[in-house]
Amino acid sequence: MNLPRMNLPRITALAIGVSAICACSAVSSNAVAETPSPPGAIAYFHYPLDGIHVPQRFTVRIGLKEMGVAPAGVDKPNTGHHHLLVDTEMVDLTKPIPSDYNHIHLGNGQTEVVLTLPPGPHTLQLLLADQHHIPHKPPVMSKKITIYVR
Amino acid sequence: MLRPHLLRSFICVFCLSFPGFLALAQEQQHKREHAPPNAKVFFTGIADGATVPSHFTVHFGAENIEISPSGTDKPNSGHHHVLIDSPLPALDAPIPSDPNHLHFGRGQSEGEIILSAGDHTLQLLLGDRAHFPHDPPVASEVLHVHVDAASVEKARTPSPPNASVFFVGLEDGATIPTKSVVKFGIAGIGLAPAGTDSPGTGHHHLIIDAPLPPLDREIPSDLNYMHFGRAQTETMLTLAPGPHTLQLLLGDYQHVPHDPPVMSKVIHVIASDQGGAAGASPTDAGRTPSPPDAAVYFIYPRNGETIYPSSTIRFGLRNMGVAPAGVIKPNTGHHHLLIDAPPPALDQAIPSDLNHLHFGAGQTEKKIALKPGKHTLQLVLGDYRHVPHDPPVVSERIEVIVMGPKHKKHRRR
Repeated sequence: MNLPRMNLPRITALAIGVSAICACSAVSSNAVAETPSPPGAIAYFHYPLDGIHVPQRFTVRIGLKEMGVAPAGVDKPNTGHHHLLVDTEMVDLTKPIPSDYNHIHLGNGQTEVVLTLPPGPHTLQLLLADQHHIPHKPPVMSKKITIYVR
Repeated sequence: MLRPHLLRSFICVFCLSFPGFLALAQEQQHKREHAPPNAKVFFTGIADGATVPSHFTVHFGAENIEISPSGTDKPNSGHHHVLIDSPLPALDAPIPSDPNHLHFGRGQSEGEIILSAGDHTLQLLLGDRAHFPHDPPVASEVLHVHVDAASVEKARTPSPPNASVFFVGLEDGATIPTKSVVKFGIAGIGLAPAGTDSPGTGHHHLIIDAPLPPLDREIPSDLNYMHFGRAQTETMLTLAPGPHTLQLLLGDYQHVPHDPPVMSKVIHVIASDQGGAAGASPTDAGRTPSPPDAAVYFIYPRNGETIYPSSTIRFGLRNMGVAPAGVIKPNTGHHHLLIDAPPPALDQAIPSDLNHLHFGAGQTEKKIALKPGKHTLQLVLGDYRHVPHDPPVVSERIEVIVMGPKHKKHRRR
């Protein structure tokens, strides 16, 4: 059938390692031209808010100022698709965002996603990326928030 | 559910690639707390080499050092961390927080953990108020435990022996229209919406062109695994022309298959534009299908709220994605905000005027100016050419009161 699957290919640990190592090198030349973001653009959490307690299964609701949402692969100025970074550091902003359990891609243009996390503290951060999964310049992201799963 | 293997490799690689840099940066920020030399932590009630259930509670003990919540600035104290299948982390950095490094920052002396079947290691490591290990580190012996596959199975909701699910009026090998109603039958077990934890019930999941998912965890939710969490017994299914496979799988209130699983046989169907009697009517032919459970709603404002004359209206969308106008992609659309307008005709493009605002660039919020008084607002999702989906994805029509410029918000409430 022609409907695509939403689960994206998992990138291997090796690929993540490569991107982590590259993060150390000072400047990397970039084959793909960077996508500019408009001034004032920012991604933010409608829910959950920083510091709150949440159940193990909860819905993350995402807001975006001054830009539009478009599925991955759509080439349109001032749009992008959301990525939810779970319990991880900020990625290399010049490279495609990895795709794994810690970097959730919302490639169909979703603005909310249901998460299931084990009890304890977790960090969440939003990062918008262009059609090639590369963050905009300047990057459009949220504050990193901490939540407590009960 | 823990996914230790992937996370572990990520963390290890991450640590390997930055060791010097991280150590230097952290050392300047935080001085590790000293621990008394005879301080120790240990697991109680569980022996090395023990066989444990998949979901169990571990108890922690500590001697010669106090347990206090994280953030408590008190000498000779710390809080527990359980390392699952992980070596000791870097000692000059905060203990990572992920499914392999569980924090017990409220000063707990026990914790629930869930492990997959197989062999695992557990280790306790005390962290100070900033989650840094002490100097010297206070860690327990590494405990080896074994989880029986049988105990993992037991965590699932049991199903009655004669429970079954099946397709009603749809045989293996049938030719069906590309758009048709598929009915689900159920016997020997009750039907209940997702989230309703009552014994002997479940809700349907339709697996389209995909294998059976792992049975020990939540059924995935995507275009190949459709959830019918409101206990629906039928759906309007749109398939591309050609052969397809369909299978039903019952899930419990948490979307996990029962034990034993209640599922139908895999049936093969051929979708055809000409086939079948219950073909799509000509007026519907042009509309883009929307997935079940798709919904559009107002994040702000809510029905009945008093708002400022200039307010940002925020749109929420569930089970679909946002795409700019003109983009043809299944299960996406763009928002339209109807202000003081009646619900639109569903078979034509939404008009574009001052009462029908289009968000064709994929926006999910908009600051609008309204005159004081009562107004109605409604959200309608439109497809790539601004036509509502089938079934339409439309919000409730809400009423808001816009306050006058001189009124304070609290007086109007």
